[in-house]
Amino acid sequence: MFFHIVLERNMQLHPRHFGRELREKLVSKLMKDVEGTCSGRHGFVVAITGIEDIGKGIIRDGTGFVTFPVKYLCVVFRPFKGEILEATVTMVNKMGFFAEAGPVQIFVSNHVKIQKDSEVRLKIIGTRVNATEIFCIGTIKDDFLGVISDPAGS
Amino acid sequence: MSLVDDSPVSSSSSDDFATFLDGELDSTSDTQPEEEEEEEKEKNDDDDDDDDYDWDQDDHETYKSLIDRTKRRKMSYATEEPNGSTSHIEKTDITETSVKMSYATEEPNGSTSHTEKTEITEASVKKVGCTHPGFIGGMCLKCGEKRDTQSGVAFKYIHKDLTLSDDEVARLRDRDLKNLLRHRKLYLVLDLDHTLLNSTRFSDVTQEEGYLMNPDDPMQDKLKGSLFKLPFMHMVTKLRPFVHDFLKEASNLFEMYIYTMGERSYALEMANLLDPGMVYFNSKVIAQGDCTTRHQKGLDVVLGQESAVLILDDTESVWSKHKDNLISMERYHFFASSCKQFGYKAKSLSELRSDESDVDGALATVLKVLKRVHSMFYDPELGENFAGRDARQMLSAVRGEVLKGCKVVFTRVFPTKFPAEHHHLWMLAERLGATCSTEVDPSVTHVISTDAGTEKSRWAVQEKKFLVEPRWLEAANFLWHRQPEEMFPVAVKEVKDKH
Repeated sequence: MFFHIVLERNMQLHPRHFGRELREKLVSKLMKDVEGTCSGRHGFVVAITGIEDIGKGIIRDGTGFVTFPVKYLCVVFRPFKGEILEATVTMVNKMGFFAEAGPVQIFVSNHVKIQKDSEVRLKIIGTRVNATEIFCIGTIKDDFLGVISDPAGS
Repeated sequence: MSLVDDSPVSSSSSDDFATFLDGELDSTSDTQPEEEEEEEKEKNDDDDDDDDYDWDQDDHETYKSLIDRTKRRKMSYATEEPNGSTSHIEKTDITETSVKMSYATEEPNGSTSHTEKTEITEASVKKVGCTHPGFIGGMCLKCGEKRDTQSGVAFKYIHKDLTLSDDEVARLRDRDLKNLLRHRKLYLVLDLDHTLLNSTRFSDVTQEEGYLMNPDDPMQDKLKGSLFKLPFMHMVTKLRPFVHDFLKEASNLFEMYIYTMGERSYALEMANLLDPGMVYFNSKVIAQGDCTTRHQKGLDVVLGQESAVLILDDTESVWSKHKDNLISMERYHFFASSCKQFGYKAKSLSELRSDESDVDGALATVLKVLKRVHSMFYDPELGENFAGRDARQMLSAVRGEVLKGCKVVFTRVFPTKFPAEHHHLWMLAERLGATCSTEVDPSVTHVISTDAGTEKSRWAVQEKKFLVEPRWLEAANFLWHRQPEEMFPVAVKEVKDKH
């Protein structure tokens, strides 16, 4: 499921970036740091859509780095148990197949012949989210689930 | 310069979302007490199941109708149904979901109203529901249930967090074998180094081999497509001649695995050189980290029945549990460093600017053997029933024809007082179909000797029997053919102690 939410992050900036473009620097660094990462709580950060607020910077002792609390708007993606997703099959093996829905890898245990690169509609039955990846177990054994487009058929 | 340690602060806004997430996370997370509770419930439940299960099977027809009754009340069963007996309420809650799965298979039928018995049927259905065949990242493959303790065999080469239970492995093997037999194939496990290719580090390339690194050298044209420089690994790799044809032809008869003691990254890189299209070895590359026993290769991580597996490897000792499946290969040494590593003094193929033969090299020879075994296994005369058929027996039959009819006697081969029958050459000769003997008699055809001066050697010359050195046996083993004896003459040694 996608969410458009506000998150907050403390950004440290090197003093050499202080100047007229400080804000731009901060934003581009934020994008670089955050987009594409995962957190167990919010899931996968897909894109930053805006900056809500940049707080007052605090100079750190010793280093001269300044820490800014930045509130930003972003689109996150987090799969939930019971959620229906459409995914592309990336690998088929003897136990079933692996599929990807964007950054999320899903394994489906299955005994029917399924071709690589076909698109399937599946239901998530278990999720595991860690710092770098989201992994799910899915099923296609339910009403309206299964292959929705075949690579050969098109 | 990297600016690290930006500690992410958890969201302080969008309260609705946060509360929603909290709710979700609580419901999906697998906190310890919750899971234990669940398991405990299951245990209690299981006890009941066992009792009910047999009963249910006996009277299956009777209860079909009961299942059907639940079908029509599918979604709301647990909540709406005023349960007759209180002792079963808990069970109903737990099993509701698994029951839903079973509806599709049951036929519609009349209805009765024996609530208690319906519940019993459900309980037994649940038992069939999920057997937890394996876990991936701590979640059951089939139902997504989370477990922290994992047992079973790890299949890291398929997915880094995958473990499968022994039952599931057996089931997969069984099913896969049926599939394999239908496609008229067998399994083939291939080693990389010295079997399909030879690699060396940049730093180990000798001066005489320098031409290999020189893109302007005239030899480069000839080596194109078989010599690869991999700067990011500091390696240079030479594929064995004929390897591409070998893989192409073998892939029609075999489902192929790569099994190497090398590291995973190296193995995948080599698989990529051998099979750029990913058609032969897709997720079937087994590397060092996947072995279950140190310094040993085992078929336990191969999802194939042992009776249908053939192995190609140059190192016999790593397959101690599966010697019958093994076809030993003559080592392929292309680079000087590789020869040195195994103690060969002679110049390497690279230094001689030569290579193994394309058409009758080791791979071409072994391909013929593989084809033989395959055609024996799928011999139309044996019929369509494959039960009990064993590729290992076929292999040993093919091997046993190599020196059929030969009777050999060894002299000056085994150390004194060594039990001759346990020497590897003795066993090799027997595997190749020869008869071994300790004493000479008129029926002996070959005398294998390291010294032409011994009594038996002289007897051989006198009686016009073949006198060959032990390499004759090894050559026959690698080439799968009785070798011309005159190519393996025995030299007279400086005799120090008279026999």
